[in-house]
Amino acid sequence: MLRLAPALLLLGLAVAMPLAGASAQERARQRSPAPATARLSFIGLADKAQVPAKLTVRFAITGMEVVPAGQAARNGGHHHLLIDTELPPLDQPIPSDFNHIHFGGGQTEAEIALTPGKHTLQLLFADHNHVPHDPPVMSERITVEVPAAAPEKPRSAAAPGARVFFIDLQDGATIPSHARIRFGAEGITVTPAGTASPNGGHHHLLVDTELPALDREIPSDFNHLHFGRGQTEAELSLPPGEHTLQLLMGDHEHVPHDPPVMSARIRIRVVADGQPVVAAQPAPHAHGAGAARTPSPNDAAVYFVYPRDGDRIYPTSTIRFGLRNMGVAPAGVAKPNTGHHHLLVDAGPPSFDAPIPADLNHIHLGGGQTEYKLTLPNGRHTLQLLLADENHLPHDPPVISERITVIVAPGGPNARRRR
Amino acid sequence: MSRARIAAAGLFALAAWQGLPAEAVAQTPARQPAPPGAQVYFHYPVDGLSVPERFTVRIGLRGMGVAPAGVNHARTGHHHLLIDTEPGPPEQPIPSDYNHIHLGNGQTEVVVTLPKGRHTLQLLLGDYTHTPHDPPVMSPKITINVR
Repeated sequence: MLRLAPALLLLGLAVAMPLAGASAQERARQRSPAPATARLSFIGLADKAQVPAKLTVRFAITGMEVVPAGQAARNGGHHHLLIDTELPPLDQPIPSDFNHIHFGGGQTEAEIALTPGKHTLQLLFADHNHVPHDPPVMSERITVEVPAAAPEKPRSAAAPGARVFFIDLQDGATIPSHARIRFGAEGITVTPAGTASPNGGHHHLLVDTELPALDREIPSDFNHLHFGRGQTEAELSLPPGEHTLQLLMGDHEHVPHDPPVMSARIRIRVVADGQPVVAAQPAPHAHGAGAARTPSPNDAAVYFVYPRDGDRIYPTSTIRFGLRNMGVAPAGVAKPNTGHHHLLVDAGPPSFDAPIPADLNHIHLGGGQTEYKLTLPNGRHTLQLLLADENHLPHDPPVISERITVIVAPGGPNARRRR
Repeated sequence: MSRARIAAAGLFALAAWQGLPAEAVAQTPARQPAPPGAQVYFHYPVDGLSVPERFTVRIGLRGMGVAPAGVNHARTGHHHLLIDTEPGPPEQPIPSDYNHIHLGNGQTEVVVTLPKGRHTLQLLLGDYTHTPHDPPVMSPKITINVR
């Protein structure tokens, strides 16, 4: 069978060649004209660059305009990113797959994930029908390299009493959207990144994020700000709202020390510039050493898809949950803006500062379930949904539904109301 | 150049037609098993419904749990909303584009905006690598009318 294959392939080639020519002619599409001056390029990404496995690629087009796919516009089009592939046929729509990424919404940047090794990237502009222009507007095909996964880095030792802290910034403080944040360090020397020194390191400011893995480099992104030149203060611009800040010292290779030198994670409220800054007040959850609650988006909501308040239901009914502006994750999975459902049956108002108890009145859906088959005795019952984080602790602010009342009757919704 | 590519494609098609297994399909990783009875379905909209241009698709899941993409837990997956498209081969990761909306953060509802007219919607659960389960946990394809 295997020996036959090459022969068949050759045969196939012979048959396919003339046919292919004909079909390509038939399917050629009308191409939109492009000005000769149009230029397409990557921003800040050079050929042979070393890049992280997850990177944001930005596109620059000059001489033409970006319009979403489907809208025909003179000198308009949308971006396509070709990863590890040759140019597709230019008289046909660009294929849509993992190697040809379409930005039909008119996006001008994208976050992509690459495996370790060498990859090629190329941009190709196309019109409303995804067909490249005439002449084609495309970038150079560049090669980037993702270094092999960094091995676990040895951690530098830190003096036992070393600590970092915010100067003049308390938990619960209110700051303007442009603020100067100052970092203090005690028992450890601030040294620039790249300079190995005993008991030295540089600051990292974690904004709105959990602590990263402590046995490897602190990530470098909008949530993890590096102060590799040894800075001890930063001008921070944050949108109005609630934010969290935490300091974490990293050694010359950006790896946290052993033990890690970090501050408490503090919550701050940012108000738009010009508004009066009210006096700092302690956050309500800051008492004691209780576990910190995970923040939730302000517009998150959990609700009953079924039943509704006042419904008559069967003794065994499937209760269905809806969740807006957050995601579901099984218990134990720490991921921002996720949680798992808890169904409170005939239970009083829960406490938000302690993990939700697990008993017959507090049903945990720790597997990420979004519905639950519930059996109840006849009569009136209350139901309420409460989302909680990986540690079963409600979010801050809590994501909780209305407490609804249902009437369980053998005939369910069809039961006659007795008067 | 383009002629060569098309020839290669034709050759592949011929190979498939001859019943030869294409190489790319042979080396697929094991798919996550789906528990028997697992089902994904639309709370909203339902088949044949007329909806406004901007509406919320609400997703129900029976017999399994939801987990964000990348989280490898047994009996979980994350939702994908297929718009105006057929599901691809079940052993391949679900593509990510305008026709395949990934709810990778574990979302169970998504707001979509569609042009006026008839559209099809279908739900397909993917595992932590975006690959459908075995057997695929997939809703029937519904047709809606955007007015």
